[in-house]
Formats: sequence, C-alpha cells, structure tokens
Amino acid sequence: MYDYNPYVQDYAFPPLKLAQAYVPLQKYVSIYPPEEAIKKGTVFPELDMPYVGEKMR
Amino acid sequence: MDGNQISMLKKIMEIEFTCIDLNLYLDTHPEDQKALQDYNYYSNQLSMLKQQYEQFYGPLMVFGHSQSQYPWKWVDDPWPWEIEY
Amino acid sequence: MWVYEKKLQYPAKVCKPDVKMAKYLIAQYGGPDGELAAALRYQTQRFVMPTGKAKAVLTDIATEELAHLEIIATLVFKLLKGVPVEILKREGLGEYYTEHDRGLFYADTTGMLWTAAYIQAKGDAIADLHEDMAAEEKARATYEHLINLTDDPSVKDTLRFLREREIVHFQRFGETLVQVREYMESKKFF
Repeated sequence: MYDYNPYVQDYAFPPLKLAQAYVPLQKYVSIYPPEEAIKKGTVFPELDMPYVGEKMR
Repeated sequence: MDGNQISMLKKIMEIEFTCIDLNLYLDTHPEDQKALQDYNYYSNQLSMLKQQYEQFYGPLMVFGHSQSQYPWKWVDDPWPWEIEY
Repeated sequence: MWVYEKKLQYPAKVCKPDVKMAKYLIAQYGGPDGELAAALRYQTQRFVMPTGKAKAVLTDIATEELAHLEIIATLVFKLLKGVPVEILKREGLGEYYTEHDRGLFYADTTGMLWTAAYIQAKGDAIADLHEDMAAEEKARATYEHLINLTDDPSVKDTLRFLREREIVHFQRFGETLVQVREYMESKKFF
C-alpha cells in the first residue's frame, strides 16, 4: 500500500455496481511550484506517492 | 553546453512539466476553471522562456514551430541525449 | 500530427557507465511493459474512443510516453558510452553488441524483439481502458524493480520520476473509465 496522503478528500461516488471498477475523480486543490513539481513527478500533492523501497513490503 | 544554457533549459523543463500535468488533469476535468487558469498562466510563461532561450541557443521545435538564425540551427549538436545535465 | 521538441522532458544523468544496468533498462525501451508498448498501445486505441475527453487522454499520454522512451534511450546511451567491448562481453551484452553495437534497439533484456503482441486494441473502450490501467501498474512495478537494481543516485532519480508518471497516468485512465462508462450508459436511454 502507498503511504496515505493527508491531502486526500472524501470522494463522492455514484451508486456502486457489481462487476465494475471505480477510480475517484480527483478534485483540484492546489499545486506544487514548478521546481518542486518536476522533482516529485507531479504537480499534485494528492498524487505524490513516492517509492519507499523494497524492504517496506 | 554552458551553465547558463543548461539552467535555462531546466527552467523550461519545469514550466513545461507543470503544463503537461495540468493538461492531463484538464483532459478529464475540462470544466475546472482554476486548473485552466493555472494552465494558461504557465503556458504563457513557457512561451516567454522558450522565446528567450531560442534567441540565444537556436530552435527548440521544428516544422515551423520555431524559427532559426542562419545557418539552419536545428541540425546543431548537442542533441538531447548527448547533453551533460 | 506529432512535432518534436529538442529537449528531454526530464534530465537523464548517470554517475558512471554500467553495462548491467543498461541491459536491465532496455526492458523499458523494447520490453512488454516498456514505454514503446505504452506509446503505441494508447496511440492506436484512441481512434475508437467514444468521447473527446477519452481521445484527449489517450493521445496526450501516448505523446508523453514517447518522451519517456527518449529518456530511457538517453540513460542506456550514457550507461554504455565509451565502454570497451571486453566489458560489454563480460557483463552480458555480447549478443546485443553483435547485432547493435552500443545502439538502441527495440528488444527486451533477453534479446526478444518487440512485438505488437505486447499490446491490444480491442476496440471496446471499457476493455481497452482496463488494459491501460494494468499497463500503467506494470510499468510502475517495473520501475520499482529497476530502482532496486541500481545504486546510481542519478539513475534512481530519473527512474523515480518515470515511476510517478505511471501513477498519474493510472489516475487519468481510471477517471476516463468512469466517464466513458457514464457516457455509454447515458446513450442507452435513447
């Protein structure tokens, strides 16, 4: 599992159905400044999910 | 490649990357006003940075999207995989 | 139509040549879960997506994957630069060198040629988007393996960037799946 990001919000879903996959629709909050964003690989703090290494599994 | 050229190139990478990530977000959120505002702001910055860069160091794009001094600078070395960052 | 920009999306640096790592990285160039597979998969699936948003997502991510292909090529190019043939042979790249010298070719680490069998375009948007989500996860996992395989901090840094991009792509494909399904469901009530 990825480290849980405190930036995550409550995402609304339509009524869920069987046999269907769902991914929540991201909400825009704020973005990293460009020099930080490129280092992280995304402008979005809520999608920033760094790899912590093999030993964490 | 001199230090100034590399630092200008890195700045362009940063701003363009911001535009790319916002672009992908807008593809699934076309009605997000704030995101679009931010995209346009950074896109404008990107144009200015590229213009400045190209004045000194030659075209970044081809097929008419950038202009070139004489002689045609598009063919110049180094190419992106040869640059020492 | 595609236009090329003469710069990498992200800097690709290596601290020193490393033949073994170059060999592993070729997997992300011409292997089953590599950037070529990603770019060509999304590029060809986009034609029959039912919504403008889905066409945009597939087109734009395909374009970004080509930029990533270039980054992988740059890493391999730099990792093999100036390495003498004896070392290439010793480190397991003798067969590759026979065919390609220190050039870049569309094969995996075992020399198996890239094939369109690595991708699928079912023409069914729901099926294709699930394949795309799976592809992004497989690429993410492969990047994690590659990060574990190297000690070179510069190479690790570039790989971390590429890995994070796969996570963002997964999110976009997932959103697209939900949106395409909603669209197709809304069409049923005519």
